[in-house]
Amino acid sequence: MTLLAWGFDGLLLLGLLGLAWKALNSTDLFSAIALFIAFGLLMALVWVRLEAPDIALAEAAIGAGLSGALLLAALARLRGMEGNVTSNTGVEEAPNNIDARLVQWLSAILLLPVLFGLVYGVLSLPGNAVGLSAEINANLAASGVSNPVTAVLLNFRAYDTLLEVFVLLLALIAIWSMGSIQFNRSIETIGKTSLETTSSVLDTLVYLLVPVLMMVAAYLLWVGAHAPGGAFQAGSVLAAACVLLLLAGWPLHRLLTAMRLRLLAVAGPVVFVSMAAYSLIAEGALLQFPPEHAGTLILLLETVAALSIAVTLAALFSGGQGQHE
Amino acid sequence: MLQAVIADSHWAIILILLPLAAAVLCFLYARAANIIGVMTLSALVLSVAALGWQIRETGVYHHAIGGWEAPLGIGLYADGLSLLMLTITAVAGLGISIYATSYFKQQDAARFWPLWLLLLASLNALYLSADIFNLYITLELVGLAAVALAALTGGRDALAGAMRYLLATLLGSLAYLLGVALLYHGFGSVDIAILATQAEPVPVLWVAFGLMGAGLALKMALVPLHFWLPATHASAAAPVSALLSALVIKGAFYILLRLWLEIFAPHSGGAETLLGLLGSAAVIWGSLQALRQTRLKLLIAYSTVAQLGYLFIAFPLSTMAGAAVWSAAGYLALSHALAKAAMFLAAGNLMRFGGHDRIADLDRVVQRLPLTAGAFALAGVSIIGLPPSGGFVGKWLLLEAALTQGRWELVVVIILGSLLAAAYVFKVLGRAFTQAPVCQKARAVPARMEWAALLLACGAILLGFLAPFILPLMDIGDPFSASGVQP
Amino acid sequence: MSSFSFALAGIGLFVLGLHALIVHAHLLRKILAINIMGSGVSLVLVALARRGGDALPDAVPHAMVITGIVVAVSATALALVLMLKLAAETGSATLPDDSPE
Repeated sequence: MTLLAWGFDGLLLLGLLGLAWKALNSTDLFSAIALFIAFGLLMALVWVRLEAPDIALAEAAIGAGLSGALLLAALARLRGMEGNVTSNTGVEEAPNNIDARLVQWLSAILLLPVLFGLVYGVLSLPGNAVGLSAEINANLAASGVSNPVTAVLLNFRAYDTLLEVFVLLLALIAIWSMGSIQFNRSIETIGKTSLETTSSVLDTLVYLLVPVLMMVAAYLLWVGAHAPGGAFQAGSVLAAACVLLLLAGWPLHRLLTAMRLRLLAVAGPVVFVSMAAYSLIAEGALLQFPPEHAGTLILLLETVAALSIAVTLAALFSGGQGQHE
Repeated sequence: MLQAVIADSHWAIILILLPLAAAVLCFLYARAANIIGVMTLSALVLSVAALGWQIRETGVYHHAIGGWEAPLGIGLYADGLSLLMLTITAVAGLGISIYATSYFKQQDAARFWPLWLLLLASLNALYLSADIFNLYITLELVGLAAVALAALTGGRDALAGAMRYLLATLLGSLAYLLGVALLYHGFGSVDIAILATQAEPVPVLWVAFGLMGAGLALKMALVPLHFWLPATHASAAAPVSALLSALVIKGAFYILLRLWLEIFAPHSGGAETLLGLLGSAAVIWGSLQALRQTRLKLLIAYSTVAQLGYLFIAFPLSTMAGAAVWSAAGYLALSHALAKAAMFLAAGNLMRFGGHDRIADLDRVVQRLPLTAGAFALAGVSIIGLPPSGGFVGKWLLLEAALTQGRWELVVVIILGSLLAAAYVFKVLGRAFTQAPVCQKARAVPARMEWAALLLACGAILLGFLAPFILPLMDIGDPFSASGVQP
Repeated sequence: MSSFSFALAGIGLFVLGLHALIVHAHLLRKILAINIMGSGVSLVLVALARRGGDALPDAVPHAMVITGIVVAVSATALALVLMLKLAAETGSATLPDDSPE
C-alpha cells in the first residue's frame, strides 16, 4: 500500500472519529445534527473506499439524507413547542454538577475494558479470509442478476428482505398509532408561510430537481441488476423527492388520501408475501425463483418494494401529524 | 389422508406468513380487526398443534428458503424447543387476544391489532429461524412492535416507559449485531448449524458471546440490566403488559439458550457460573422488590424479573444433567407465560373495576370480582411453585437436579424465591379479602375479560397434570444435547 | 492492513456512541448516539470482509449492512416521534427521573 493510500485512509478514519466525537458532544443540537449529516456523507466516502458502492448509495440517501431530514424535522418541531417546553430543546448547557461529571468519568472508566476487549477480539481474527464470496460466485448465474449484492438481497437471502420491508411498514403503523402531536406550527405551514417571499426560488428548484430525482430513482432501480443500485437506493431517492415536495408546500395529502396511502405502503409487503406463498405452492420452497424467470421476478419485487419504501419513508417524515388516521 | 396432508404441509411457514397477512388486513380494514385477530390466533393455535404432530411423526422440520442451503441461504428449523416456544406464544396469545377484544375501544383496537399481529409473526419467525442475522431482524421487529404497543395508550408514564424500552432494546440489538459480525468473520457463516461445527475456543468466540449475551440480557431484563422493565410493564395497558412479560421476554431468552446450546456451551469456560449467579441475584432481588411495592402492576413486573432468574439457574446445573434441567427451564417458561399473563389480565380487571391498582385499597375484591380473584390466586399458585401446577413441576425438577448435584446454594435460592413469592402473592390476596379503609366505587368488568384471565390461570394449573405428555415433546430433535445438532 | 484499521475505527465509533448514550440526558442526543453505534457495527462488518485480498468482494456483509441501514432509519423515525410525544406531555425531551411508585 502506497504512502498516499495510507495517508488517505488515515484522513478518512480521523475524520470519521472526529466528526462522530464532535457530533455527539457539541453543545448546540442543530450543529450536532449537521455534523451527523456530514458524518453520514463521510461514511458514504468510506464505503466507496471499502469497495461497497451499493452501501455508499444507501448510506448517502438513507443514512445521511433521510435520517438527517427526520432529525432536523424533529428538532424543528421540538423548538416549535418552545412555549410549553423547558429549556432542554436548544442549547444544552454543559453539565456542571458533580453527579453528571461523575457519571461521565465513571462510564468512561467502565467502558475502557469493553473497548480493549473488543479491540482484542477483532485483532485476533486471521489476516485473510474469504467469507462466502466463492458460494455467491458459483450461484450468481442461477440467481437472475449479475450484481452480487442484489443477488444476495433479493434471491439468496430474500427472506431477510421480506422481513425488512415489514420493519418499514411496522415503523409506519407504529407512528400512526400514536396519534397526532400538537404542534404550534407544522412543517407544511412553515414551508408555506415563511417562504412565501422566496417561493419562486424554491419552486424552481423543485421543478428542476424532482423530475431529475425521479429519473435517477428509475435508473437506480433498473441498473441494480448488474451494477450498484437496487430497490432500497431507488426508493430512498424517490422518498427524497417526496420530502422535497412536502417541504415546498405541495398538498400531497390531497392527492394521497388516507386509504390510498395505506394501500401504497402495504403494496411492497403484500407482493412479497404473495410471491412467497406462491413460490411455496408452485415450487415447494419459500421464495424460490426458477432461474429462467428469476430476473423478471426480482425486477417486479424491486419495483413494488421501491414504491412502498418511498411512500413509507416519506410518510415517516411527515408522520405524527394525525391526518392519516 | 388427512394425516398425509398434515405431515406434508409447511406449518412453520404458515405460522409466519399468516399473521403477516392478517396484520396488513387489519391495517386496511380496521373495523373488522377484532374478528380478523381472533380468527388468526385460533388458526395459529391449530397450526402449532399441526406442527407439533408433524415433527412428532416425521422428525425435525427443516426448510432451506429459496432452495438455497446454508451457508448461502437462510434455513428454517423446528424442533422440540421451537415447538415449546411457539406453543407458549400461540396459547397465551389467544388468551390475551380474547381479553383485548373487550378491553380496547374501537379506536385503540384499530391500532392494537396490526401491531400485535406483526409482533406474533416476528416471534414465530424468531422461534423458527436457524440463522443468526435473520434472528437480528426478527429481534428488531419484536422490539419495535413491543415498544409501539407499550406506548399505545399514551400518557406520561407509558410514553416514558416505552422510550426507555426502545433505547434499551436498540442498544441490545446493536450489541447482538456486533456479536454476529464477529462470529461471521471468525467462522465464516451465519448459520447456527455450521457455526456449531466450526466454533473453536478462540478470543473471537468469547468476545462475541459477551456481546450477544449482554445484548440479549438487556433485552430480557436480566439483573443487573433490568432497570427498564418494571416501569415499562407497569405503565402499559393490561393486555400489553401481559404480552410483554409473558411472551416478548421469552424471545430473547430463546435466542440466548439456542446459541448457548449449539455454539457456546462446549467452549464455555465457566460462563454458566456467572449466569447462575446473575439468575440467583435476579430471583432474590426481584422478589424482595416485589414485596416492597404498593402498586399491583409494579409488583407483578418485579415478579417477572424474579421468575426470569430461575431460567438462568438452569445454566450451572446443566453441565451435568443437561436434558432434565433444560426441560425444567422450558416448563417454567411455559407456566410462567400463562400465569403471568393471567396475573396482568387480572390486574387489568381490577384497574377497570376500581380505577386504580393500589394494593392497600383492593376492596373486598373476592366478593365483588370472584373470577378475577380466583384467576390471580391460581396464577399465584403457579408462580410460587405449589403443587399442582406447571410452576411446581418446573421448580421441582430444578430442585431435584440441584440436590443431586450437591449445589446447596442453588437449593437455598430456589426455596427462598418460592417463600418470597408466597409472601408477595399473599400480600395481594390478603387485601383482596378485606375491606379497604375507604370504600371504592366500582365499574363493571366485562365477563370476557374475567374469563380470559381465569382460563389462562387454569391453564397454568393444568400444566401440572400434563407434564408427562408435554415433557417428551420438548425432546424432539434432541435440542438439549450440548454437542449441537442438526440436519 | 487497512481492513483492520477500518474495523478498529468501527469499534471506536461503537464505544464512542455507547459512552454518549449513557452520559447525555437529552433524548435527541441518545438517538444520535444509537445511529453512530449502528454505523460502527456496519463498518466492522464490511471492513473485515476485505481480508480476502484480491479475491472478489464478499457480498453477504454488504447486504447485511444495507438491511441494517433501513432498520436503523425505521427505528430512528419511531424514536423521534416517541420523543416528541413525550416532550409534548412532560415539557422536556428527557426521560423523567422519578419512577412511578
